[in-house]
Amino acid sequence: MSKIEDVLKTDKKGLHYGNRLILPFPIDILKVNIKNDIITDFSTSDVGAEYIVRDDYTEIYFHDYKSLMETVAKYAVIKMVVVEKGTDIFDQGNHKILSIDILDKHIVDIKEIHDDQIFIE
Amino acid sequence: MIKKLLYSLIFFTINTPLFASEGSTELLNYWYMVLPFVALLLMIATGPLFYHHFWEKHYPKIAIAMGVITVTFYIVVLHDTVSLMHTLAEYLSFIALLASLFVASGGILIKVDKKATPMLNVLILIFGSIIANVIGTTGASMLLIRPFIKINKDRIKPYHIVFFIFSVSNIGGALTPIGDPPLFLGFLRGVEFFWVIQHVWYIWAPTLIVLMSIFYVLDSMNKSGNDAEKDYSGKIEFKGLKNIGFLAIIIISVFIDPNVQSWVPSLAPLPFGIRELIMFSIVYLSYKYADKEALRANEFDFEPIREVAYLFAGLFATMIPALQLIAIEAHEYGEELNAGLFYWSTGSLSAFLDNAPTYLNFLSAEMGKFGMDVTNKTAVHEFQMLHPLYLSAISVGAVFFGAMSYIGNAPNFMVKSISERAGINMPSFFGYMIKYSIPILIPIFVIVWYVFYYGQG
Repeated sequence: MSKIEDVLKTDKKGLHYGNRLILPFPIDILKVNIKNDIITDFSTSDVGAEYIVRDDYTEIYFHDYKSLMETVAKYAVIKMVVVEKGTDIFDQGNHKILSIDILDKHIVDIKEIHDDQIFIE
Repeated sequence: MIKKLLYSLIFFTINTPLFASEGSTELLNYWYMVLPFVALLLMIATGPLFYHHFWEKHYPKIAIAMGVITVTFYIVVLHDTVSLMHTLAEYLSFIALLASLFVASGGILIKVDKKATPMLNVLILIFGSIIANVIGTTGASMLLIRPFIKINKDRIKPYHIVFFIFSVSNIGGALTPIGDPPLFLGFLRGVEFFWVIQHVWYIWAPTLIVLMSIFYVLDSMNKSGNDAEKDYSGKIEFKGLKNIGFLAIIIISVFIDPNVQSWVPSLAPLPFGIRELIMFSIVYLSYKYADKEALRANEFDFEPIREVAYLFAGLFATMIPALQLIAIEAHEYGEELNAGLFYWSTGSLSAFLDNAPTYLNFLSAEMGKFGMDVTNKTAVHEFQMLHPLYLSAISVGAVFFGAMSYIGNAPNFMVKSISERAGINMPSFFGYMIKYSIPILIPIFVIVWYVFYYGQG
């Protein structure tokens, strides 16, 4: 099972196809920001977003958008607050804020949010 | 008072069949040509709220389609291409200024490593309100909203953003034509550049002081983040400083107008001048040579300015008949209207409609009251000299009331959008009004009316 820390260290990339985002680690997602939408409700499978945690990866479907490539502007990113699967979700120290950059050829660049960017949990 | 206000609002918005035109009485038979304008304004107000994703996808087509209806009418039925060319020139000036300020300021990143305090926040908001008059409410909002959020990261609440919208994105920019789009349209029509600051500063200053006092009290009660132990260097860092140079060129180019400087060549019959060419070049250059790190940190996106460009293309085209009809009819019904009513009428509509076309409509109406034509620059100049109270009433109304809702002024939506991208849950359209703008701004605006316009003019 890949850990977020290892993926960030090795600069392993994620994937995107249409409105589907695939991150190479299993996580629980607490909050997502895409364009102007802040999504915290993952309970339905037709609006907003839903995610499915697999053993080695997590897939997220953004129902309100057809294509992530067309939705996220060149200098914009998707931001999310996540918790590594298997860690204590109630310990805020385990919460990580990731920035997801949608690139060409279905590639996704994953980074921990850097100092200049802002995302309030 | 309320009866008069209602009369005024009904007069300007619903009772359009009454409108007539001296110059082209033919337009009287086609009063319904204001409907595309009304329809577009209604869709701008309701689209982002009730059919968000449909609107997001189709607003360019809708805005252009509405504009094409009016343009076709003027060409085919009225055979009037002069009004169309005049409007096109005005639109190009307007969008050139907004786009250049938006792109140039989007490439500047300000990092402030200081502990947030109510006093520091008040100072930032006052600073933003002042520079809004130099780089526009759009430029100042773009430049300062991120550092403002960042400084308050551990204690940010929606009211921080709301007061930012009140001051930096709206009221602050009431002193110069660069400050807010309505005033720039007035400048393009012939109002002198320094007229606004001379006639509005004594309303602007006390309004801001009251607003900042309320903010200070509210912010002093916010104890969140006080326990976070952090070391602050107190440093202020800038990235993308070369874009400050581009901003300076934009400000200078505002005055490069054949009507302001005699040495400036006119490019007529082209619908733009040297000023617009400079501004559009700045859009290209300030983006191409921008600090990429600054763009990335600011999450720069052309979408907000693209939206303004399309919507205003539609608005500028569809409002031609409304402007012409209102100007003439106000001449007939003008006796009923005083400066106070113009203040409330301009303000009430600016709260929900784009304040730039609203200002133009009421400038047209005021001038019509005194038998003057808003399309004549000399007449506008004469009007500012003879009836300053009236011009001040619509200038203050259009700019101040733009803060009443998210759709009152272009930067409101941009600030809301940036705040949401920063993870802040902003109040809904009605939440913003019920919780913030009505209880806080309306009493202030009533005082402004009572002190400066009641019983005068």
